[in-house]
Amino acid sequence: MTALLQILFDALSLGSLYALGAIGIALIFGVMRLVNFAHGDYISFCVFALLWPSIDAAAIVFAGQLPAYLLIPIILATGACLSMLSEILVFRRFRNANPATMMIASFALGFVIKYTLLMLFSSRPKSIDLWSELALPVEILDARIPLLQVITIIITVLILAALVAFLKRTRFGLEMRAAAENFTMARMLGVRANAVILLAFAISGMLAASIGLILVTQTGTVDIQMGSSVMLVAFIATVIGGLGSLPGAVVAGFLIGGISVLMQVILPLDVRPFRDAFVYGAVIVVLIWRPNGLFAPRSAKQRV
Amino acid sequence: MTERPSIFMRTLSTPIILIMVLVFFLALAALVNSGPFNQVVIDAMVKVTLVVGLYVFIGNSGVISFGHIGFTCLGAYATAWLTIPPMMKKMSLPGLPDLILETKLPFGVAIVLGGLFAALFALVVGKILMRLSGIAASIATFAMLAVINTVYSNWERVTGATSSVVGIPIVRVVWPYFLVAAAAILIAHLYSISRSGLALRAARDEAIAASASGVDIGRERLTAFVISAFIAGLGGALSAHSVGVVTPDTFYLNLTFICLSMLVVGGMNSLSGAVMGVVVLSVIIQVLRQFEKGVDIGGSILAIPNGLQEITIGIVMVVILIARPSGLTRNTEIVWRGWPFKRVSAAAES
Amino acid sequence: MKKLLTGVAGATVMMAALGTGVAKADDIVVGFATASSGFMQAYDKPAQDAAMIRIDEINKAGGLLGKQIKTVAADTKTDRAEGAKAGLEVIDKGASLVVVSCDYDFGAPAALAAEAAGKVSFFLCAESIKAGIQGVGPRSFSASVLAAVQGATMAEWAYNKKKARNFYRLLDTWTEYNKGICDGFDWMMPKLKDAKLVGQDTFKNEDTSIAAQITRIKSLPQQPDAIMLCSMMPGVVSAVKQIRAAGIKSMILNGSGVSGGYWLNATPDLSDFYVPDQGSVYGDDPNPAVNEFNKKYKAATGGDPSSQYVYPGYVMIDVWAKAVERAKTTDADAVVKELEKMKDEKTLFGPRTFTDKIHHQNRGRYLITEVKNGKPGVVDEWTISEPIPVEYLVKK
Repeated sequence: MTALLQILFDALSLGSLYALGAIGIALIFGVMRLVNFAHGDYISFCVFALLWPSIDAAAIVFAGQLPAYLLIPIILATGACLSMLSEILVFRRFRNANPATMMIASFALGFVIKYTLLMLFSSRPKSIDLWSELALPVEILDARIPLLQVITIIITVLILAALVAFLKRTRFGLEMRAAAENFTMARMLGVRANAVILLAFAISGMLAASIGLILVTQTGTVDIQMGSSVMLVAFIATVIGGLGSLPGAVVAGFLIGGISVLMQVILPLDVRPFRDAFVYGAVIVVLIWRPNGLFAPRSAKQRV
Repeated sequence: MTERPSIFMRTLSTPIILIMVLVFFLALAALVNSGPFNQVVIDAMVKVTLVVGLYVFIGNSGVISFGHIGFTCLGAYATAWLTIPPMMKKMSLPGLPDLILETKLPFGVAIVLGGLFAALFALVVGKILMRLSGIAASIATFAMLAVINTVYSNWERVTGATSSVVGIPIVRVVWPYFLVAAAAILIAHLYSISRSGLALRAARDEAIAASASGVDIGRERLTAFVISAFIAGLGGALSAHSVGVVTPDTFYLNLTFICLSMLVVGGMNSLSGAVMGVVVLSVIIQVLRQFEKGVDIGGSILAIPNGLQEITIGIVMVVILIARPSGLTRNTEIVWRGWPFKRVSAAAES
Repeated sequence: MKKLLTGVAGATVMMAALGTGVAKADDIVVGFATASSGFMQAYDKPAQDAAMIRIDEINKAGGLLGKQIKTVAADTKTDRAEGAKAGLEVIDKGASLVVVSCDYDFGAPAALAAEAAGKVSFFLCAESIKAGIQGVGPRSFSASVLAAVQGATMAEWAYNKKKARNFYRLLDTWTEYNKGICDGFDWMMPKLKDAKLVGQDTFKNEDTSIAAQITRIKSLPQQPDAIMLCSMMPGVVSAVKQIRAAGIKSMILNGSGVSGGYWLNATPDLSDFYVPDQGSVYGDDPNPAVNEFNKKYKAATGGDPSSQYVYPGYVMIDVWAKAVERAKTTDADAVVKELEKMKDEKTLFGPRTFTDKIHHQNRGRYLITEVKNGKPGVVDEWTISEPIPVEYLVKK
């Protein structure tokens, strides 16, 4: 029982990260059919914003020293700004381009962000101690769960709830949902297209920032690569969930997190290094079974 | 009204011009005759092969594949299995079947077998994956790449896991790479003017109409998938011989994105785009690298900081895509419009 | 389109025309085909700086065979294809020693190019047996000590000095280096009487959470005395943090990949954490000459050595120059012969032995660094009781 509970928490906390990443990607995809490959680099960028640029091995903590009530808004704002900036400078110019072109543009943008960070900070992963008191374990029904896992899950639930409230209760939320459903139609009905897209980017950037903060607290590491593995899984989760479907993205995020943890637990030692092969195999199976995703929005139906 | 020439004659100039571009680089390499520059040209020829391989599938079917570098990985390892001296293989890759352990094939045969191995794999996997279309197909190909990568990174006795496999004969002359790249261009061209290629492009542009006219989209896609896997496998085998080592992580996301970028920047729906994308980006990268090393201008050395090359190439790509969203070639093929083919190309225009 | 074609042609001709400088014929040239940008730069640069310090010392003392040592460099950009080019480039510029990237995977293409051109190549700090005869060829060497020696050292030391009996093995499958550490550990275990492997597991360096692996350790009936953690940056920091956060107090044994104190602020109260080091970067090396070197390094680069991986660069030039002096030529075969004669050749950072079977160290003296309350310090020194057999290393 205890072991089961532990596994459940492991799966939920990993799934939370994937779910947060998946919504960030799904939001943008919903409003402008862009698969944003720079999303992972937003995560890295936000994390590096904690540090002062230097290529020394030891990290020079800068923003990271601020108290949490200042630090969190600053990092979230960093994410939002970077994300909005990329929309204004780059993606706005691709409004009518085909998805492949936009995707490659986003990849090129990510490339620029990544190599800029590399120049400023060098490739050596840096260490930083952020809120390490959160790493202490708490007892839940005899299972010792790291507090951070619990917090990650709670934060994810809160963010999701806030997002749902925003989408359902506010005018901007309504416009965004309309835009995600049918962008051209929404625009004709008076939805402020650029404003909605900009807002989607802002939210997406903040989601990236929050993933960054959770990752740093969990791992104590600041690394150029850190966003990319989350981003990849999140991207896959978005597709499995049904592109453009926010609930689908969340469910699929948790699903992949769950499968990943489960495989680590049940696979025998010799096969365990092949874990990801099984996870991605499962992805293919799901896709064959539901090509449009688990929660395909009506707008995403293929014509043939 | 003159008789309309066959599609073969009308479009023949495209592969010829593209191959001439490669010949230009071949000649330049012979002219400069320096080891590092030779390697630059070899590298570009390998990239041409890989990107042309990608084009055969992506350009004709319209489905973005993230998986082709997986075939490149298969091709590279296959040639490694076949060309490493048996003595070394028995030590480093003892899990290979005896037949392979004992053989040592010449480079030319091994790379073709590498391509065929990739094509065979594509045939099996494609039967399942080609049922999908659109973004689901893209993700499925990516999942395939991830599975290949995970297996090759951990199958200790057959692939040497993550460690570099060495002992592959290194080929440092340019012409074999040129020959394969030229062959890839020819195959790609012949496929795109073939019945299957035309049908697939019709399906890409108008899926409903094409399928109503009796095009079996799944089957045509599979054909393209297998042919492109063959070319991608060839490219992988070449890259193995150009550096002499293979590791699974060479053939993963970085290479996938670099090749896709070259294709899209060039123009993903045309063969000319595939080739020109590689050529233009490679040349820009080399010029920037020269600046990183320092360039002597009027007695003073002008140098840009190391690492700026990557940032600049990223910006250049974004700018190119903003200026030409459908790529440098605007998705059209380069054809000969001057004498003596004037009339032919005029007919092609109509 | 025509404009595009002519533009490309023009740029290419210009690029090809830009010549490269050639060294004077009466200098000895050392070529660095290492990364000065990209991921490996952070690892290659420090070792290369250390190599430069030794080259400077030699030049100031009158040079090598009466000639000055000149250096040329080409950037591998942390890319294998570029690595091959960089190797060819420094050979073109007349290098008689080709220094290649720290990591075996990234250094191999340049080393293979050197091998084919009949030049001696040295890996800055590769720790795989393949960085030498078994992988690249008979003219290739590595300046560091095999990863397996690190695992074996830690196991034997913990067994003898810390009375550890129950071991747990946690392998990060990301690199060969990690597997090498665990291979050495596996080789040593049966030689330790009563020592028992109570469990093992794997993870991937990029795993953001290793919660499932930790759950497995925690469900053991008794916590292990020591966890052999075969991992490296950056994943290892996260793993250690999560292990300690879960309340697992066993001592943690590592390879040299975690050497250096620069990452310890991520885990402020870390204790019972042990690392093998070839020399101390913390200023407390038992050999004062090492502390002297650290000062020189600081004067040259503006910072203290960040980890022990600075040192092999210095050792490399040191042993190569000695071999050249003895051979009285830079001719590759003669230099290789002299290098292979070295047996426990003294260097600043432990003895070095090369034979015609192995161009690497399958045994070596290691300082043991303990991290206590987040502060690293040298506590002991250990040399494994017997060298790890070459056959075992090759089979792995």
